[in-house]
Amino acid sequence: MAILDVSDLSVRYAGTGREVLRGVSFSVDAHEFVAIIGPSGAGKSTLIRCINRLVEPRGGRIVLYGEDVAQMPRSKLRETRRTIGMIFQEFNLVNRMSVMDNVLSGRLGYVGTLPSVFKLFPKADIRRALEILDRVGLSDHVDKRADRLSGGQRQRVGIARALMQDPKLLLVDEPTSSLDPKISREVMGLIRGIAREFDVPVLCNIHDVQLATEFATKIIGLQDGIKIFEGPTAALDRQKLDEIYAMEVL
Amino acid sequence: MNALALRVEAVAAGRARRRRRGLAFAGLVALLAIVSAHTVLVVDTDWARMGSLGAVMKSVARFLAVDFSLIPQLWEPVLETFMMACIGTLVGAILCIPVIWLGALNVTPSRWIGYPFGRFLMTMSRSIHEIVWALIFVSAVGLGSLAGILALAMRSIGFIAKITAEAIENVDPKPIEAIKAVGGSKLQVLRYGIMPQVLPVVLGTIIFEWDINIRRSAIMGLVGAGGLGLTFHRQMVMFNWPGVTTVILAILVLIVIGEIASHYVRKAVT
Repeated sequence: MAILDVSDLSVRYAGTGREVLRGVSFSVDAHEFVAIIGPSGAGKSTLIRCINRLVEPRGGRIVLYGEDVAQMPRSKLRETRRTIGMIFQEFNLVNRMSVMDNVLSGRLGYVGTLPSVFKLFPKADIRRALEILDRVGLSDHVDKRADRLSGGQRQRVGIARALMQDPKLLLVDEPTSSLDPKISREVMGLIRGIAREFDVPVLCNIHDVQLATEFATKIIGLQDGIKIFEGPTAALDRQKLDEIYAMEVL
Repeated sequence: MNALALRVEAVAAGRARRRRRGLAFAGLVALLAIVSAHTVLVVDTDWARMGSLGAVMKSVARFLAVDFSLIPQLWEPVLETFMMACIGTLVGAILCIPVIWLGALNVTPSRWIGYPFGRFLMTMSRSIHEIVWALIFVSAVGLGSLAGILALAMRSIGFIAKITAEAIENVDPKPIEAIKAVGGSKLQVLRYGIMPQVLPVVLGTIIFEWDINIRRSAIMGLVGAGGLGLTFHRQMVMFNWPGVTTVILAILVLIVIGEIASHYVRKAVT
């Protein structure tokens, strides 16, 4: 049973009118770790951002747990967004806030607007944040400002924030591009670990094919806005890879 | 060779033309200065009343004394001036909020009506002089420090709002994207995505404005809007020249204290 079912998704940029995605269809099942690979400019980031409508699709359906995200009114969209965790390439933390505040901000979709203005979160959320920070190995940095941490640690804060949402789906946008190879592998391992523990499917775009084949159960190959491969990681052979990266591998 | 000679001629001619234009411009400026000086200084000044150079020096020398007996009477206006600056800045900072909301391009509720209106309010606040604001409020709420506070508040809006609106426009969009992605509302985006980023700039600007408001506050009394300016005016009309100097010294001390405080507080918040 597919948790996320995307069909015929297309996106056009408002300014230039260039088509970024052309009729992309795929699905994500429970327990799956799906990696989207493809050359730069293929539309990987745009695809990920369409799922929670940070980018507005021009056409197509994005069915998540039986509801079409693409057709949702704004008010309903907020409710859906809070169940989709997102991890970003550049962590997207609020630098001047503490690690704790950053992690708690994952609950913003659940707490009332007025309490959240005064940073009032229920004790249960604070307990949860501490548990999650223990899990990602940041128990010693709870009260530090986010900009005092190293790159790997900041990405862990980003992961903790996403987990605070009790996500039903994790969107991961190039989680390792700002990190060195060793930390990259650690972070990917952590994401896979928590995905298993929390039983959340992952949709991750990543340009590093090595990491993709190492961690993903399924691969989607994107080239110039068109899906040209979808299959289990084992089915991705040298020839398929050459097709996806046509211009670069030759 | 001939072609090169032609180019030399062309370049030389161009340089000569630019030089002539520069000279003409300088001549125009000099002429304007002479005409201005003539109408304002030579024609408008009452040379006969001024008398000799010695008389001028004597008039200035009258200020070269300090009236120490005035000091006990100065505590109250000094305090009043200081508090007018504080409250005026605070009220201005609060009144800023809707102006910033209108006048920052990325948060404004309407690009075509709200934004230009917000920008207009900022410009109006700054282009009307504080003394003019004070005159307006003295006629509206009467003599006293309330008029001064309102004048300072109105005058402060422009600068604080402009700097803050620009800081909001230049904010890093990445944290904002993250707050949107967790399902944050517009207000939560403002509180978690934007506010932490601009807060140091805003606080620094408010303190800077407070520092300037102490200076402005000291002259509010000249038009009856409270503070040291009133004492200054009173000494002036009583022809108590050493008293005038005493008040000026008090203003100077107050400003220096404000500047020192502003320096340290600004360091602490940024």
